[in-house]
Amino acid sequence: MKIADLARAIEANLIVPVGRSDPQIHRVFGSRAMSDLIANAAADTLLITSLNNSQLIRVAELMDVPGICLVDGMEPAADLVDLAASTGTALLLSRADLISTCARAAECVLAEKAARG
Amino acid sequence: MITLSYPIAGGDFDSAGFATRKLKEQLAKVGVDASALRRAMIAAYEAEMNVVIHARVGTLWARLDETKLDLEVADEGPGIPDVELAMREGWSTAPDRARQMGFGAGLGLPNIRKASDLFQIETRVGRGTRIRSTILFDGGARAAVEIAAAPALLRIEAQRCRGCMRCIRACPAGALRIHNGRPVLLQHLCIGCATCIDECADGVFGLPENGAPRAVPKGAILIIPRGLVTGFPGFPQPESVVSALRELGFEKVMFLEEWEEALCAEGRKEAADDTLPLPRIPPLCPPLVALIESRFPSLIPHLSPFLSPAESAGEEFPLRPVFLVAACPGQYSACAESSLTERLTVLAPAALTGAVRNLKGLLRPASRSLLGGSSSVVAARSGELAAGGARAVMRVLGRAETGALGGIDLLDLHFCAGGCSASPLVTREPEIAGLRHAAVPRGAGAGAAGAVRRTRPYVQRPGLRLDPDMAQAMRKLALIDSTVRLLPGRDCGSCGAPSCAALAEDVVAGRAHRKACPFLTETER
Repeated sequence: MKIADLARAIEANLIVPVGRSDPQIHRVFGSRAMSDLIANAAADTLLITSLNNSQLIRVAELMDVPGICLVDGMEPAADLVDLAASTGTALLLSRADLISTCARAAECVLAEKAARG
Repeated sequence: MITLSYPIAGGDFDSAGFATRKLKEQLAKVGVDASALRRAMIAAYEAEMNVVIHARVGTLWARLDETKLDLEVADEGPGIPDVELAMREGWSTAPDRARQMGFGAGLGLPNIRKASDLFQIETRVGRGTRIRSTILFDGGARAAVEIAAAPALLRIEAQRCRGCMRCIRACPAGALRIHNGRPVLLQHLCIGCATCIDECADGVFGLPENGAPRAVPKGAILIIPRGLVTGFPGFPQPESVVSALRELGFEKVMFLEEWEEALCAEGRKEAADDTLPLPRIPPLCPPLVALIESRFPSLIPHLSPFLSPAESAGEEFPLRPVFLVAACPGQYSACAESSLTERLTVLAPAALTGAVRNLKGLLRPASRSLLGGSSSVVAARSGELAAGGARAVMRVLGRAETGALGGIDLLDLHFCAGGCSASPLVTREPEIAGLRHAAVPRGAGAGAAGAVRRTRPYVQRPGLRLDPDMAQAMRKLALIDSTVRLLPGRDCGSCGAPSCAALAEDVVAGRAHRKACPFLTETER
């Protein structure tokens, strides 16, 4: 599933558009802990988190993560938006909380997988 | 092989992660495989964040060759009081500021360990922490990794050998042979002690020659066995030797014995803990550890889980240039191999004695009173057994193995009788030098030394095993047995092996031919 399609499906705003590489998302992973995020980050994974600081982009960059979804409708930190744009990391903003955003995104990814067979 | 290094600033959350990102750029150029790169990034980032969160300043080093990536992250910081606790998932001491950013979940160190094929952590409270992580590029080889001990760095000048055979008999590990009149070292058996150096009158054996340090960087610390200042011919005042060493550019001169004392103190604490097997054996010298790991594996649980004094001393100042004088090949290799960085320089004693002699003007002969000074022999505490010298150490360990040392809580064992200060590389007159130790002023940092807990477990060394395959090893054992029966049993050494049993083993291993024995008849050969 493409990030833009996934954003639409979970009703998240795409604050920073998808970068040059626009891979298929096969997996979503959500956590409040940076160590969890980095240990589970991958090039086909959308990270979902209630954190809101520039280290998220650092982790995305190191692990080739294509996109990060913030939750709770929170205003993203200013440097976070700039960094995401300059590193080509997509930034999504969901109004729902961490758990519901994860559940919904996972549902969408799995449904699309099943549809493809 | 390339080594890269990146500075890390403690407390700077804005540039946190930059060191790891720069490392990634370099690794991408080399084309490191995806899985290894992933694991490297996790280990490097988590280690970098630990420095940012907890320490004042640190450095990330990376060494890369075709088979693996070695990472090392060292910092000057608070250290970790309880490593075992820190390795537990969910345990963290991160401040609120870091927690608000999503750090401090207590998963950092466990993450690094999971990402690494080999993981090691050295830490000193109040000083700092050093993490080593090795990532193998071929994932398949992961299970087969053995933590290979560094081979002892024994320098052999074979052309000096007269073939007197004294070394092959003296070597406590049976690692030396004389073949065609020249000494041959069986590297896998060598434990790195200085017995052969002591025994040889022709100077065949020694440490790698690296000469005197040409330029001593600012703030450098010199750590030496105390005997180095008392072992000079002509007996200059120890104080003048120390000031001569400072003249070479060292900011501070410290004595290895301080770390020995710290280690023994830990051993005594352990002896009071009745869940641990007695007697406790503090790893006072690296050859002692190597000997136990190869010849006395049943005593491995008795070894105190700390680094040897020389290795602990090397950890004491994580980011300062440290020069350490090694008293034996085992100490030399343990310290030289302990880090990727050039922070720690290991020297042979001769490198310094030469340099000090060039500063003759500073040295005054010692006064009489100092020469006849009070004896430094310290009576062993009750419940402790002190022994020095290869033979004595072998005897005591043999007794300990059979459980015949009841009532002894602590074994204070040194391969050199008199400790590192009495090593043949440090002094040729250990008894006289020893008498004068008491008069030596304590180092400037007396009391600062601490023992560093080791994270790498002691492992039984495979050096003695005849074959990795057990069935094959048993066949070889039978073959050795029948060969020994054929040999005269005089252990004369004429064949170049220390005993008939050693020759038999060499024959079966393909290292020698049985006709090397002059006593076999034509048919027996």
